[in-house]
Amino acid sequence: MKTLLRSILLLTAASAVAMAQQWEFGGTGGGGFLSNVNVAGSSLGAATAGFQTGAALGGYVGFAQYKHIGGELHYNYLQSNLSLKSNGAEASFAGVAHVVHYDLIFKTTRSQGKVQLFAAVGGGMKYFRGTGTEAAYQPLSQFGYFTKTTAIKPMASAGAGVKIALTKKVFLRTEFRDYITAFPTAIITPAPGTKYGKLLHDFVPMVGLGMEM
Amino acid sequence: MRWNVRLLPIALAALLSPAFAVAASFGTVVPIGGQASDIALDESRGLLYIANFTANRIEVMSTADKSIHTSMNVPAQPAALSISPDSKYLLVAHYGSQTQADPSLNAITLINLNDSTRQTFTTGDTPLGVVFLANGTAFVVTSTSILIFDPISGKMVSVATFGALAKTLPVTLGTFPSQVISAALSTSPDRTVVYGIADSGTSQAFYSYNARTGALYAIGVVASPKPLARVSVSADGSWAMIGQYRLDATANNLAQFPNSITSSTIGGNAIDNAKGIIYAQILIQSPTSSTTSSGSTSSTPAATSAPPVLSILDAENLLVQQSFSIPENITGRSVLTAAADVLYTVSDSGVMVFPVGRLNQQHRVTASVRDVVARGSFCNRTVITQSITITDPGGGNTDFHLTTNTPGVTIAPSSGITPAQVQVRVDPAAFQNQNGTLAVALTLGSVSAINIPPPVRLLINNESPNQRGSFFNVPGYLTDLLSDPIRLRFYVVAQDTDQVLVFDGTTYQQIAALKTSATPTQIAMTFDRKYLVIGHDNSQQAWVYDLDTFQRQLPIQFPSGHYPRSLAESGAGMLALVRNAAVGGPGVIDTIDFNARTGTQLSSLGVFANNVSPSGVLAPAPNGGKIMVAMPDGNVMLYDSNAGTFTVSRKDFTGLSGAYAASSYNTYVVGGNVLNASLVPQGTLETSSGQPSGFTFIDQSGFRTTASSASTPGVIERFDPTQNNPTGPATRLVEAPVVAASASASGSAAAATSTFPIGVGSGASVTMSFMRTLAALYDRSAVISLSVSGFTVLPWNYDAAVAPPKISAVVNAADGTLPVAPGGLISIYGSQMAPLNIATQQIPLPTALAQSCLIVNGVPMPVLFVSSGQINGQLPFNVNGNAQMTLYTPGGISDNFNFTILPAAPSIFRTGSAGPQTGLATITRSDNGELITPTNPSHPGDSITIWATGLGLTSPPIDAGQPAPSDPLPYAIIQPNVLLGGVALGVQYAGLVPGSVGLYQINALVPRGVPQGLQIPLLISQGANTTTLNLRVVNP
Repeated sequence: MKTLLRSILLLTAASAVAMAQQWEFGGTGGGGFLSNVNVAGSSLGAATAGFQTGAALGGYVGFAQYKHIGGELHYNYLQSNLSLKSNGAEASFAGVAHVVHYDLIFKTTRSQGKVQLFAAVGGGMKYFRGTGTEAAYQPLSQFGYFTKTTAIKPMASAGAGVKIALTKKVFLRTEFRDYITAFPTAIITPAPGTKYGKLLHDFVPMVGLGMEM
Repeated sequence: MRWNVRLLPIALAALLSPAFAVAASFGTVVPIGGQASDIALDESRGLLYIANFTANRIEVMSTADKSIHTSMNVPAQPAALSISPDSKYLLVAHYGSQTQADPSLNAITLINLNDSTRQTFTTGDTPLGVVFLANGTAFVVTSTSILIFDPISGKMVSVATFGALAKTLPVTLGTFPSQVISAALSTSPDRTVVYGIADSGTSQAFYSYNARTGALYAIGVVASPKPLARVSVSADGSWAMIGQYRLDATANNLAQFPNSITSSTIGGNAIDNAKGIIYAQILIQSPTSSTTSSGSTSSTPAATSAPPVLSILDAENLLVQQSFSIPENITGRSVLTAAADVLYTVSDSGVMVFPVGRLNQQHRVTASVRDVVARGSFCNRTVITQSITITDPGGGNTDFHLTTNTPGVTIAPSSGITPAQVQVRVDPAAFQNQNGTLAVALTLGSVSAINIPPPVRLLINNESPNQRGSFFNVPGYLTDLLSDPIRLRFYVVAQDTDQVLVFDGTTYQQIAALKTSATPTQIAMTFDRKYLVIGHDNSQQAWVYDLDTFQRQLPIQFPSGHYPRSLAESGAGMLALVRNAAVGGPGVIDTIDFNARTGTQLSSLGVFANNVSPSGVLAPAPNGGKIMVAMPDGNVMLYDSNAGTFTVSRKDFTGLSGAYAASSYNTYVVGGNVLNASLVPQGTLETSSGQPSGFTFIDQSGFRTTASSASTPGVIERFDPTQNNPTGPATRLVEAPVVAASASASGSAAAATSTFPIGVGSGASVTMSFMRTLAALYDRSAVISLSVSGFTVLPWNYDAAVAPPKISAVVNAADGTLPVAPGGLISIYGSQMAPLNIATQQIPLPTALAQSCLIVNGVPMPVLFVSSGQINGQLPFNVNGNAQMTLYTPGGISDNFNFTILPAAPSIFRTGSAGPQTGLATITRSDNGELITPTNPSHPGDSITIWATGLGLTSPPIDAGQPAPSDPLPYAIIQPNVLLGGVALGVQYAGLVPGSVGLYQINALVPRGVPQGLQIPLLISQGANTTTLNLRVVNP
């Protein structure tokens, strides 16, 4: 009985190790919802600076070393047009962003069913790029200047999600991330006499498919 | 051999002598050894069939080599031809009208061009014209009927009959076939609409036939001048050119060629629908109107009887666009190829061929301007130089000569090869006694050019300090002036170019040109001030424009024979005084139904007969209550809009002419006469200052201009008509106002009528007995006077006492700072500097504007803009160091203003704008051409252009006021160094901007390694002088 129990424990441990030590990869798509920052210091009225909502596409590779802990390396492309708003008026300028981050994954087991919950926290870099057409006059330029240039910012990432098994290997994955960076003032440059808020949040809900190997 | 060598220089001299020069001609003559009556073009076979009326042959000409390869013998007197749409049949009409009547001679021959078989069908009466229709049948006009002929069955159906039209043979010596036949018909290009005309001697039969509906319209017409039997039909069949008349399908006269005369044989026309033009030879009266009262030369070279001329006309208003000498007269039908690249015409010798599609390969010459103005001033008595560019419109190299016999005017080079820049130099010393504007014709000619270029008008004005006003050059013959009572603009009728020109009342610059029909005479506004209505002397329409959009509206159609020369509005509607070519008198008054766009002759003018002088005018009172009618025979009438009829008719004068005006206070002015509410003479205006030119009422007073001749200054006075006396001093104008033709010279109605015989087209330059030449802007800022050069602007207070000018500051015009440099654009600030705000677009810049002129160390300074508090101009290049500036104005001479001129003083213009932002530095990125701003920053690797002034002398040197050339480029002698963030930029060019005056540019390359930031200093240094501003630099 004792041997049997040990054997069961060993098998369980072995299977747990075997389950945790598996590779996972997949692709996701969704949208980026960025926070705006307040423009302070302008005598010309209230304004916000930030980025418009845009599509997000990405992929990841994960490795589950433990039963409840794993790690994932993510890349996401984000359509992030630059935006200034004031008094109901909005000026925009085409832009994109790329993010690369590594998250620690804390997850439940899937033993009781097909659903697995997970939380993620990590960090990486976010690359902003203004791609619009420069012009001598830009609306709302009293609050800031859209700039056709690039900026790289360190980024914190946090999020959570759920994986639903579709087959033994394939699962549906829904999740959201909050990418937190300093505001890229090289891309939207405060006009003289104005100051911008410090942090930029990019809430990115995504849906995707993943596969375990 | 020695004989030849001696002869050669003589021959060359003879060839090069202008007196010996004979201009080239356009087109090739193909003689046929007989007299042609008609042609038919068979493009599918490359053949032109020519009816040789006198030789009883159809000559067959190859269009490839323009030679007659074969001839087809046919029955007697082939008079008219037509080829079927499928090119299978050629139909020939035989003119068999003989004194010894033989009906068998009246026939048509159907020639099958595929198998050369022929059939002849008798028509009974003389066939005058034939055309094939789209359905394959032929429309045949005989001397008594219209027949539809089916070439398959040979059946003929009569669709209309009329009185006999044919002449009988034989005819007197020298009679040409077209004079015998005196009829023509033609179809639209798709052969669905036929227009035709036939002559009965005293009248003519006009007919149009719609082959789709079978509708035939026919009417007898009596017109003078009698339309020549030449017909071309428009693409949609809505109108046709018949002789010199543009008629619609019901014979409404849409336009007629000015000054044309009756011709029984010479002339022809062909419509190029795609280009909207008409090729035509039309005989006109001798061009006696070569010089008008304004000194302007005759409008445009028109077709004349000798030598023969082919003109290109605007298809809508028949305005001559170009004219060409041709080898001989057109005497019959003209036919264009489908591609409209070759024109074939019946001519004296047979046919002529014109390669109209290759006009650009023909030698032509043209001048870049119609007028050139030599504007002297009391500051500047140096030689005035103006440039004219002579080109061949086709881009070729063509010989030219530009000449004048006027002493004091030199032209260099006076001959040469196009393209060429010609300098016209005027020595003011030769015109020192000339106080008005002298108009001198510069004759442009060429030995090898086929076109007839119009002369260039040189206007020489030497202003003296006691003359007032600023004149603006408007080439052409200007016949009417109207100030808009609710918009700050004014309208000028340019009769010789068939336009109404619209000018802004603030800048005095032209803002629109409204096309008119043929020979516009006078304009009026509807009483709601929404529409401008244009009267014409060579159209039976008045054209209408929306004054808010400048869009053309439906025209007002007048009754047959009515030419609306003068129009006036009242509260009760509009009236038109029309030249009447129909029965009922030489002139009548029509009422206008503006909504229906029709004019209708009034049965009577109240208790008076509707019979007025066609040279009369209507003068509306601004309040809409009355319309005065003034006639050159001395008659005046008054229309009362409340009564809805004419209430006064008087004749207290033997003749009237010149100014006319009606006030809102029941006072009227005609010529030099003041009339009361019943048009009873109540006074005479003074006549010592010259002939009356213009009068405009301002409430109960007014302004008045007079001139003794076109080359004198003329005079303007303020007047109170109720007292018959000037209320202000007589002030000399900068140039003479336009004076209408005097009726007193003729002195009677008969003489006036002889100017406009019944039905005669009055010409592109109508002699106007009455003209409006004076108008006040509605904001009472200025008075406009039509004058010799165009128009003259006088400030409202032109005669007020003016304090002497003062100069308080001189700065560069770029950033408003010191220092300044030779050749740089500068701004001078002060007070009482000019009576008007005027900017000039004249190049070279004038040295006087609005009677303000500046001298710097004794050198006249070119000016761009003048106003009371500021003048902008260009410093002369040959002044530097300590300088003294003096300003001359009508108020006197300023104190000397001392300032310093450095060799170089670069400064960047702050005149850029982007969106609502103004005052931006004028530095542009070459890749997008936009100003560098924080939102359009400079990037490393960019090419940038810095627009500046004050870079000093150049190599080669340029005269002040003159535009910089493009070849060679004028480099700044002291080359600038440009640093951005301390990093040197590569300067590729620094010098004057080609074509501009006083404006420099620096082209530079931004290197990599330039520091980034919002405020990176850009420093330009020339020697010890620098200028700095900040730019944003961003790495892309």
